Amino acid sequence: MEYIELLFKSIFIDNMVFATFLGMCSYLAVSKKVDTAVGLGAAVIFVLTITVPLNWLLDKYILQDGALAWVSEDFAIYDLSFLSFIMFIATIATMVQLVEIIVEKFSPSLYNSLGIFLPLIAVNCAILGGSLFMQSREIPTLSLALTYGVGSGIGWFLAILAIAAIREKIRYSNVPAPLRGLGITFIITGLMAIGFMSFGGMLTGGDEEAVKTEPTNELVTDVAVEKLDNELFLENKKEVN
Amino acid sequence: MEKRTDKNLYTLLFATGMVVVVGSLLAFVASSLKPKINENKRIEKQQNILYAMGVHENEGKGNVAFIEASKVAGEFSKYIKKQIVITGDLDIVENNDAYLIDIKKEQTKAKAGEKRQLPLFIGEKDGKTYYIAPIRGIGLWDAIWAYVAVDENMIVQGAYFDHKAETAGLGANIKQRFFMDDFIGEHLLDENGIFKGITVSKSNSDPTNKIKYDNEVDAIAGATITGDGVSAMIKTDLRLYQSYFENLKTN
Amino acid sequence: MGLLSSKDSKLISDPLSDDNPITIQVLGICSALAITAELKASIVMAVSVIFVMGAGNVVISLIRNIIPSKIRIIVQLTVVAALVIVVDQVLKAYSYSLSKELGAFIGLIITNCIIMGRFEAFALANGAWRSFLDGIGNALGYGLILIIVGFFRELLGSGTLLGYAVLGDSIEKTGLYSIGYENNGFMLLAPMALIVVGLIIWVQRSRNTNLIED
Repeated sequence: MEYIELLFKSIFIDNMVFATFLGMCSYLAVSKKVDTAVGLGAAVIFVLTITVPLNWLLDKYILQDGALAWVSEDFAIYDLSFLSFIMFIATIATMVQLVEIIVEKFSPSLYNSLGIFLPLIAVNCAILGGSLFMQSREIPTLSLALTYGVGSGIGWFLAILAIAAIREKIRYSNVPAPLRGLGITFIITGLMAIGFMSFGGMLTGGDEEAVKTEPTNELVTDVAVEKLDNELFLENKKEVN
Repeated sequence: MEKRTDKNLYTLLFATGMVVVVGSLLAFVASSLKPKINENKRIEKQQNILYAMGVHENEGKGNVAFIEASKVAGEFSKYIKKQIVITGDLDIVENNDAYLIDIKKEQTKAKAGEKRQLPLFIGEKDGKTYYIAPIRGIGLWDAIWAYVAVDENMIVQGAYFDHKAETAGLGANIKQRFFMDDFIGEHLLDENGIFKGITVSKSNSDPTNKIKYDNEVDAIAGATITGDGVSAMIKTDLRLYQSYFENLKTN
Repeated sequence: MGLLSSKDSKLISDPLSDDNPITIQVLGICSALAITAELKASIVMAVSVIFVMGAGNVVISLIRNIIPSKIRIIVQLTVVAALVIVVDQVLKAYSYSLSKELGAFIGLIITNCIIMGRFEAFALANGAWRSFLDGIGNALGYGLILIIVGFFRELLGSGTLLGYAVLGDSIEKTGLYSIGYENNGFMLLAPMALIVVGLIIWVQRSRNTNLIED
């Protein structure tokens, strides 16, 4: 089912931290303790889950070329995609402000330990990246956008959880003094990223929808049809394997 | 005492004011610069198309050097003899603005089930005829596109690749000559005339690219996903032109 | 520098060493990984960030007393985004080729946490001139790390610097390649950037033991 595939893809294969290196600043700075990491990770999942579908709606009904056709036919010529950035950021910033208010009210200790990195979720490239990838990869439906948002968030959460756990454990290891803390974290993250590269070869068959071309505007001759059938048969065989 | 800046009404007024100020600033900048920007885009398209068919100012093994912006309009009308748009089965129409057709929109139309317009630019240089097709796809971060020039047998005569946001030094290198030059002479069809496209392959055993009928070029280290995007875009979009070339042979 | 008081000149010198935005404040990491496969791109990015931080810090500092606290983040982001979009449009009109080079970076500049990090930490509480210096200083500190990482990644990964082959031609096997040296393709991948920054931190904290965490 494409939802499970997309979920798996966005958590492991297109992992926000290890595959596209988004959201690094907060990831590195807030991972000293597992509790704060969990708090920030949860906030990121929440913000991504809400902003990706919200921005999908924004993109489809306002920003895309011709998207304004539902208001009136005349508006169909407008292409507001140059405003994508600023509009996506506006929705994200609003959500983050909301999250900041909620966290301050319900968990002041978490609010204090997150410090500057809570408002920084708004510029967290992972959050904006989620919306921008949703737009550039042309995710077709709202529910898939939601799945993508949730998956990306969970992927980021798992990454920060992993590094926080490792950092807590190596406090008792014999790390050279200048590398202690931030330095060794950079190196460990680099190694984890190398490890995650192994996921890069998975699920690339189904990924290229491009390969499954529908023979639309072809001149319909017997030869052409036979050749196309040949191609599609071979390609479908490859994907199934 | 609550600061003035904390009051809700003030927040609302400020927010509205900011939207108005920033909105008008951006709208003003965008609209006053739009004609210049569109002109620059048009010139770029012409430069790219001419580059694909070999009309450029490259020197030796140097960097990509397009025909200068001031001369490009003249060169374009000199070398590009005809621009056609292929729609549906046998609908071929001449259109001198075919190069301005937005490929992204056409791809969206095709996804929605409508007929897609396929522009093709026919150029002539030194007695040879070049057929240049625009194609578009997705790289790692964002869109990639290209202009590919072929002859009647769908053998690539030249190509120009471009991208919106690929990584500098990695995926962005699809614009470099060392990558684009590899495509010259490559076959898109196999010996039975079946469309195979060209795969950007890491397992290519021919790094100096001497074998031209293997339907492969060497990939760029560190740019796997961008390379896969190039292969996919060639396969999807160029395949659509195959029937035109077949018809060309039988007519 | 004679013009600046010693307090002001610290605003420029600190980020270049003890308060470096990347290695100490942990800001601006994403772009440090994404851009630095090529030295030229690192330099272009550094210059762009210097401009945006200088201008942005000044604007935020000037309006800091009238920003409503509830929408603080949105205002900051709007200022940066508007600044970057205007620059992008102007470049597209007057220097199209340069704008294409920067095209990919535009997104990375707007979301660069250094910019908002310094708005929050400095510009919101200080005057325009000092905020300007702080912005420039941090951008220079950021640029320094970017250039160091970009230098090593391009040199060891592609054997070139600023596009010029400095170790010989890898295909024709001249220069260093004739004795069997091969480019370390791994250096072109982002995980290595992380490791290079880790090593830079090692060097920095060895030289200045005050910075060592316990």
